[in-house]
Amino acid sequence: MDPEDSIDDGTVTRCPRLGGDVPFGYCCTCGEERLPCFKIFDCWWERFDVVGYLSSRLSPSDMDRVVQGKPRHKLTSLLDLVEQAKRRAQQ
Amino acid sequence: MQARKILLPEDQMPRQWYNILADIKMNPPLGPDGNPVSPDALAPVFPMNLIEQEVSPQRWIDIPEEVLNVLSIWRPSPLMRAVALEKALSTPAKIYYKNEGVSPPGSHKPNTAVPQAYYNKVFGIKKLTTETGAGQWGSALAFACSQFGLECKVFMVRISFDQKPYRKAMMEAWGGRCIPSPSTETKAGRDVLATNPDTAGSLGIAISEAIEAAVTDTSGQTRYSLGSVLNHVLLHQTIIGLEAKKQLALVGEYPDVVIGCAGGGSNFAGLSFPFVYDKLNGKQIAIHPVEPTACPTMTRGPFVYDHGDTARYTPLLPMHSLGHAFIPAPIHAGGLRYHGMAPMVSQLLTEGILEARAVHQLEAYDAGVLFARTEGTIPAPETNHAIACVVQEAKKAKEEGKEKVILFNFSGHGLLDLGAYDKYFSKQMTNFELSDEELLRAEEVFKNFPKPQMLKSR
Repeated sequence: MDPEDSIDDGTVTRCPRLGGDVPFGYCCTCGEERLPCFKIFDCWWERFDVVGYLSSRLSPSDMDRVVQGKPRHKLTSLLDLVEQAKRRAQQ
Repeated sequence: MQARKILLPEDQMPRQWYNILADIKMNPPLGPDGNPVSPDALAPVFPMNLIEQEVSPQRWIDIPEEVLNVLSIWRPSPLMRAVALEKALSTPAKIYYKNEGVSPPGSHKPNTAVPQAYYNKVFGIKKLTTETGAGQWGSALAFACSQFGLECKVFMVRISFDQKPYRKAMMEAWGGRCIPSPSTETKAGRDVLATNPDTAGSLGIAISEAIEAAVTDTSGQTRYSLGSVLNHVLLHQTIIGLEAKKQLALVGEYPDVVIGCAGGGSNFAGLSFPFVYDKLNGKQIAIHPVEPTACPTMTRGPFVYDHGDTARYTPLLPMHSLGHAFIPAPIHAGGLRYHGMAPMVSQLLTEGILEARAVHQLEAYDAGVLFARTEGTIPAPETNHAIACVVQEAKKAKEEGKEKVILFNFSGHGLLDLGAYDKYFSKQMTNFELSDEELLRAEEVFKNFPKPQMLKSR
C-alpha cells in the first residue's frame, strides 16, 4: 500500500492548494521529490506536533529544504519545467 | 423593499484592464544564468500576445471586443448590498460584495480563462493544456475554450479527480478533456506511475504533465494556460474591482475596507488592485488579503530559521518541537508566505500597502454559514475566509460606532464543495490530535528517508 493511504480518512485536512480534503500521509509526500509539502506545517500545526514529528524523521538537509525552501518566481519554475519536458522528449 | 443589487449596464462594462505593474516596482524573475528571464523564453508555453501583457508597463490595456462579448454572459457581475448580514451583525457598517459566483463555472476564474483562450486563438493556437487541483480552474478553462472553439486538456490531480467527479463532468460538458494525473499520456506521468502506480498525484506532477503536453506538440499549435499568480492573470481579474468602483459610484459610496481571500492571489488582486491604485494616489483605505491561520513563528526553540528577509511572505517556519503543552504565539498571517502567492501581491504586502489577515478554519465556516443563512448563497470554502474577516470588521465598526463601508469579493459559490460543509455540520471539522496509532502508520512514509541527527536544544 502506498504510504499516502496509510492514514485513514478520519484524519484529513483541507488542502489550500488543491481545494479538497487530503490525509496527512499525502502532505508528507506531495512536495518536490516526494518530500513533504511546504505548507505541511501551516496545515497541521494545530492538530499535533508536526514540526517535532518531521524533525525526527527527516534528515536535517531534507528538513531544511522543506522549511527553508525559498519561493521561486513562477516564471522561473515554468521555464525549468519546459526544459525538463524538452529533455524528456529527447530521451 | 431595500435595494440589494447594484447593477451596471452591459454597455458600461470596463473597456480596459488596470495593469498595476505601471505603478509598482518589481524585481524581474531571474533565469538560471542569473539574468532576467527573457520574454522570448516563455514562447513554448504562452502565445506572444499574452507574454507581451505579462511584461507590459502600460497602465491601461484594452479589453478586446470578442472578450467582452463572452464576459457579458455573466458580467458585469452584480454588486450586492449584504443587508441581511448587516442586520444579523447589528452593525452600522455597510457591507457590499461582488458576486463572482454567477459565472458559468461559479467562480472568478473565467475572468482570465476567457481572455487567455481568446489570445491563444488569435495567435493560431488550437489546443490548451493546464493542471487543476479541485477543478475550479480546469472548469473555467474548459468553458472559455468552448467559447472560442479550442481543444482543452486538463490534468487533474488524482486525489481530487477521485473526490470530485462532477468537476470532470463539467469540463466534459464544455468539451474539455479531464485526465487524472499522473497519467500515461506524458513521460512525466508514466515515470511517476512506474515507480508508484497507486500515487494520489500532486500539483507538481500535474503541472509537469500539462507543460510537457504543450511543449512536445510538434505542430506548435498547443500552449499551456495558468489560472493564478502571473501578471497577466491578475491583470484580467481587475475587471472585478473596476466594475465595483463604477457600481459603488452609482450609489455614492467608496469603501473604507476592501477584503478578499488570498490563495494564489488572483481573486484578491482582481477586486483590490483598482483600489490599490487609489491608495497609491492618496486615498485612505484598508486592504486585507485573508488566509487560513498559519503555523506561528516561535520565539524560542531548538533552532530557528530566519531568512533575514524583510518580506513577510517568505518562509519563517519554526524548527521548534511544538509539544502538546505548547502555547502558540498570537496567530499571524504568515500564510501569505505561500510559495504560490502572486509576486505583485507579495510586493504590496512588503511595502505595507496591504495588511494580511488570518482566520481559523472554524471561524471561516461559522461566517460562511451565517452568510448562507442571511444572504442566501452558499459560499465556496475559500470565500468563507474573506467573509470571516468581513464579520470581524463589521463587529469592529459596531464597537467603534462607525458607519464604515466594507467591500469584499465573493469569489465563488460552494455548491460543488458541500462535502466540506457536511464535515462542518457533523462536527468532524474540529481541531483534533492524530492518535499514536495513526502517527505510527504514517511512519511508513519515512521508511526510506535517512534518519536525522539529534537536534541540539540551544
